[in-house]
Amino acid sequence: MSQCASGASRFFSANRAELGLALSILVVLGLTSVLDERHIYWQNPWPSFVDIVRQSSMLGIFALGSAVVIIAGGIDLSCGSVIAFSGTICATLLVLLAPEEMRTAAVLRPPVIAAAIAGTVLVGLAIGSLHAWLITVVRLPPFVATLATLVGLRSLGRSIVENTSALHLGGKSTQIQIYDAGFRYLATSVWIPATLFLVLAATAWLLLSRTVTGRHLYALGGNEEAARLSGIRTDSLKWLAYCVGASCSTLAGILYIADQSVADPQNLGRGYELNAIAAAVVGGCSLQGGVGTVQGTVLGVVFLRTVIDGVAKIIKTGADVYEGLIVGILVVVAVAFNQLRQRGEPGRSLFPGVLGTVAGATLAAVAGVLAAILAGGVAGAAASVAALAAVVAAKIIARTPARTRGEPR
Amino acid sequence: MNAGETIISIEQVSKRYPGAQALAEVSLQITTGELHAIVGENGAGKSTLMKVLAGIVTQYDGRLVLRGQPVHFAHTRDAQWHGISIIHQELNLVDELSAAANIFLGREVRTRLGLLDEAAMQRAATGLLARLECHVDARQKVGRLRVGDQQLVEIAKALSLEAEILVMDEPTSALTETEVARLFRVMDQLRGRGVTILYISHKMDEVFRLADRITVLRDGRLVATLRRDQTNPREVTSLMVGRAAEASLVRSTVELGPVVLETRGLSLPWVGHPREWRLRDISFQLHRGEILGLAGLMGAGRTELLESLFGASPQPPRGRVYLNEREVQFGHPREAIAAGVAMVSEDRKRLGLFDHLTVGQNITLAKLGAAVRGGLLSRRREQRLADEAIRRLGIRTTGPSAPITTLSGGNQQKAIIARWLLTGPQVLLLDDPTRGVDVGAKAELYRLIDDLCTGGLSIVITSSELPELLALCDRILVLAEGRLRAEFSRAEATEQRIMEAATLGIDL
Repeated sequence: MSQCASGASRFFSANRAELGLALSILVVLGLTSVLDERHIYWQNPWPSFVDIVRQSSMLGIFALGSAVVIIAGGIDLSCGSVIAFSGTICATLLVLLAPEEMRTAAVLRPPVIAAAIAGTVLVGLAIGSLHAWLITVVRLPPFVATLATLVGLRSLGRSIVENTSALHLGGKSTQIQIYDAGFRYLATSVWIPATLFLVLAATAWLLLSRTVTGRHLYALGGNEEAARLSGIRTDSLKWLAYCVGASCSTLAGILYIADQSVADPQNLGRGYELNAIAAAVVGGCSLQGGVGTVQGTVLGVVFLRTVIDGVAKIIKTGADVYEGLIVGILVVVAVAFNQLRQRGEPGRSLFPGVLGTVAGATLAAVAGVLAAILAGGVAGAAASVAALAAVVAAKIIARTPARTRGEPR
Repeated sequence: MNAGETIISIEQVSKRYPGAQALAEVSLQITTGELHAIVGENGAGKSTLMKVLAGIVTQYDGRLVLRGQPVHFAHTRDAQWHGISIIHQELNLVDELSAAANIFLGREVRTRLGLLDEAAMQRAATGLLARLECHVDARQKVGRLRVGDQQLVEIAKALSLEAEILVMDEPTSALTETEVARLFRVMDQLRGRGVTILYISHKMDEVFRLADRITVLRDGRLVATLRRDQTNPREVTSLMVGRAAEASLVRSTVELGPVVLETRGLSLPWVGHPREWRLRDISFQLHRGEILGLAGLMGAGRTELLESLFGASPQPPRGRVYLNEREVQFGHPREAIAAGVAMVSEDRKRLGLFDHLTVGQNITLAKLGAAVRGGLLSRRREQRLADEAIRRLGIRTTGPSAPITTLSGGNQQKAIIARWLLTGPQVLLLDDPTRGVDVGAKAELYRLIDDLCTGGLSIVITSSELPELLALCDRILVLAEGRLRAEFSRAEATEQRIMEAATLGIDL
């Protein structure tokens, strides 16, 4: 009995962050179903569920790659561009392999689709290798190396699309349409992205927690020099990590063009790299490296998507309008929460000095603007004043000497 | 201010760090205008004392009295304001800023509009540098200057602060001979101007050339303050080392086996440094079951030698290395490990520990292959490996799943040694393995090292504490400035002889 209890308590303490996230997801789902005036989660549970699963799977597939890179102590800023570029490559390969069918919107043969996907994944591995070469041989910081591909791949993708469409589709275009229902089924089926996500998550979990390579990835991220001195081939590991990162984005890219039935390198996946990093960080990965789990990342992904979906349901605008704002706030709150928990400085003022006043006023203004947009000018002004009052109150409490608050000095 | 008066009086100053008494009731009067040398072994408390004077260490017991007034510096700025400047061994300059900008950093000259007055600062800087025989362009970035010139930039900064007391921490360690000569001329010139200089060094020739008085520190205590003309280098070195050997262990007598490791003419280039070689022409042999000690002061090349043998040096070493009579060249620690060489690094926190991993994971890291079953890590096997190692080395922990950071320094060190023993080495390189380890744990480590050698392992060990080497080693090699200066058998070795070889440069 006592052994069982201690086992359970050990499970809880070891997985506190994950359990907290799972609980938060349930809370968000509950709040959404209550606060949404149309109660879509009650009225129409199945489509809502399918939608969240689809969105989470698409994000999750490349967020897992980002998490592996982050755990290995690196950073991959290029996810969004790799998604756009690999979508482009996949569509281009389809055009090259079956120009007639693509032009006339005829049915594509399965081997053509399979070959295009295989070719695209190879390109993903090539991008990962390029990153690893820039980082380990040319010795660029990962931030710079992947920033270069973030900017470069999108424009390369566009030039490829323009050329391909001019040569094979009878007219220069910045995008390639894909009409084939078979190809589109990859994403519209939902079960395919969901299964792929689960399989990738299971593989990543196995890799990170049950293999020598996985342990070495944690070691590399935690202390690169000590890892090298322990005989670990740190350069090969980085190669692996960046290939995992890039090929996950590649798979997501294929699914995105299937979903949108168009390869549009200009607009596809803009800013997605930050969503991926945010999901990993919310899920407990440390940008310093060496810390993070697959479970956490998966929960981070689901949490991010449920919050975005919930806000869209509650305020009844497209999810995309507030997506960036939500991601930004969640990252700050999640990381700040983790740091406060680890360092634990209770009673420290969050708004010290002039900087605190300015930051407090800024936050109050943001709150006011949001309230004004969502509920009208009066509410906005009220929210602003209330937020400002809260900040001022926090400052006054912080300034009051500990003695008068009856706390030990 | 008159010569002969006490400018600064250090009264009963003590400083405790967790696990070490860095300074114990040190009292010392420095006379205005004198050059006072402070000598001692590594870890004797020299640097801590200087940090107290410079306002870097602010929490200490006892007090400082400056020109009759008690002072307590809360910040380096405080110390500077009171006329005390320190030239650190590791120079405190911003490489990307010009010499002039560095000299006036934090006290920038401004025009009436509040903008930086670059011209005025450059003029002033050029003047200051010229007085120091330093003929570099004050507009040049400091990072581009030679180390000797960088040091003079620091001194120029001290001059611009109108420092009356200048503290110099081993200022010649990275200088060429001409730069040293120039530095000494500058110091003479400063003394002519009435500047009091506190000179930290372990080089006897410099100390005896420059100092008026010499203070010897040992284990945080002041041993003696002597007038230069009433002492000699031999007396000072014996005062530096003269503690009773605390290491209680008597090395078991072992039959030395065949030669396991041998180097011939091992050298390690040092690109862009006036010394040119981190290591020069080092040849030695290591026998099976032998403990070979490497003695030498900071910067003598001990760590570099071990790194070269482990395939971890910044550049590949020149010369030949033989392992079991076969020539080897390790390009990566991985190859060294595969050949049977293991190394415990000096800086445990930075180069050894994985903070985020558990005790067990830290132990098994270099030998995870042994815990693999069917391509996957077997938790049970890994646990067994870790448990065995914990038992064998007597690591005190709640178990292999405890975070490594919950262990004491000594037990962390044992965990790292355990990591390397799992790789089944023939040669174990230990770089100052007892640093930051408390006394009880040290004794355990000594016993462990002795046991390992009795079991046929060969060990090369460095230490910042000579008694440790004397107690443990069958033979001791003395390095100085990258060269092998002396070799002593266990019977011949004394602290006095080793210290003389390391500081005076007696050739073989």
